[in-house]
Amino acid sequence: MLEVLAVTSDRGWADLSRKLMSCMMLAIVCATPLSGCVRRPAAHTWAKFGGNPGQGALLVGRFSCGACHEIAGVEGAIGQVGPPLSTFGERTMIAGVLPNTPENLVRWLRHPQSVVPGNAMPDVGLTDAQARDVAAWLYRKH
Amino acid sequence: MSVQMPRWIMRFLTSPRELLIFLAGGVCAFGAMGIGAVVVIEGGIFNATASTPHLAVVAVAAHTAFIRSVEVRAAGVKPPARFAPAEVAAGFRDYDASCAVCHGAPGIAQARWASAMTPPPPYLEDAARRWRPRELYWIVGQGVKMTAMPAWAEVRSDGQVWNLVGFLEALPYLTAADYQHLRAEARSAGGAKTNH
Repeated sequence: MLEVLAVTSDRGWADLSRKLMSCMMLAIVCATPLSGCVRRPAAHTWAKFGGNPGQGALLVGRFSCGACHEIAGVEGAIGQVGPPLSTFGERTMIAGVLPNTPENLVRWLRHPQSVVPGNAMPDVGLTDAQARDVAAWLYRKH
Repeated sequence: MSVQMPRWIMRFLTSPRELLIFLAGGVCAFGAMGIGAVVVIEGGIFNATASTPHLAVVAVAAHTAFIRSVEVRAAGVKPPARFAPAEVAAGFRDYDASCAVCHGAPGIAQARWASAMTPPPPYLEDAARRWRPRELYWIVGQGVKMTAMPAWAEVRSDGQVWNLVGFLEALPYLTAADYQHLRAEARSAGGAKTNH
C-alpha cells in the first residue's frame, strides 16, 4: 500500500517542492530591497530595567488589558478603546504626553488618572513591582 | 464476499481487508481519546484553580464556543427600535450599582478582587461595537457559564435588561467625566433606585 502511495505521488511532490522553492526564492529576492526601506525605531529593552516579562504577561491577562487594547498574540485582546500595544517599545510618547522611558511607563501604568485626568484608562491598582513586570513585557522583543 | 469500494478509497486502501483494519484503527483511536478524557477528568489533571490562566487552546475553544453560542441563540431576539433617554438613565443606575464593580467604567477600575477571577471580567467600553443589541441582551439576561457572569434575567425584568443594553449602547460615547457627571446627577435625583 505504501509503495503505491509513493509511486503515485512521488512526481507530484517533486513538482510541488520545485514550485515552492521557486516561490521562496522569488519572495527572498523581492523582500531583500524592501527590508532596507523600512527603518523602525529602536525598541526599549527590559534587561537593564528589572522587570519580569513572563510575570507581566500574566498580569496583562489578569487586568483585562485586552478589553481596551489590541495586543498581538494575546487571546481575545482586540479592544479598540486605547491604542494597540504590540510594538509599544517603539512608541515615542506615552498617551501623547510622556516621553516613552521605563520610569515614565511605570508611572503611567500605575497612575494614568493623575498623568491625564479624565482619560478612559483607570488606575487599576498595579503595585510598583507589577507595573515593572508589565513594562518589561511591553518592551519585550518581538 | 465481493465489495466494490469507491475509487477514491481504492487509492489508499486496496482491499476490503485493509479497509477493515483502517476502521478498527479509527475505533481504537476514538476509544483512546475517551479513556484520555476520563483520565484527565477523574485523575484531577484539569487545573480548575482560578489562580492559573486557561491553557491557550482551552481559552480559544471556550471563547469561540461562547461567541458562537450567543450569535446562534440571540438570532431571533427583536431589539426595540430605540432607547429613550429615561431608559438609558435607568440602565446607567443599574450598571453603576451592579455591573461596574466587575466590569469597570470609563476612568474607573474594576474591583481589585474582580481581576483575580478567571477569566477576568472585561471592561465594556466598546462592547456595543463588537456585539449587536440583541446579543448584549442575551449575554446580560442569560449570563455566561463558568465565568461568574450571572443570568440577570432571573433577577431583573425584561425591560430592566433592555435598559442595561441601552446604556451599553451609549457607553462608547461616554468620557470618564461624563460618567462622573451621570453619577452626580443620579445622586442629586434622590438616590439611585436599584434592585439588589
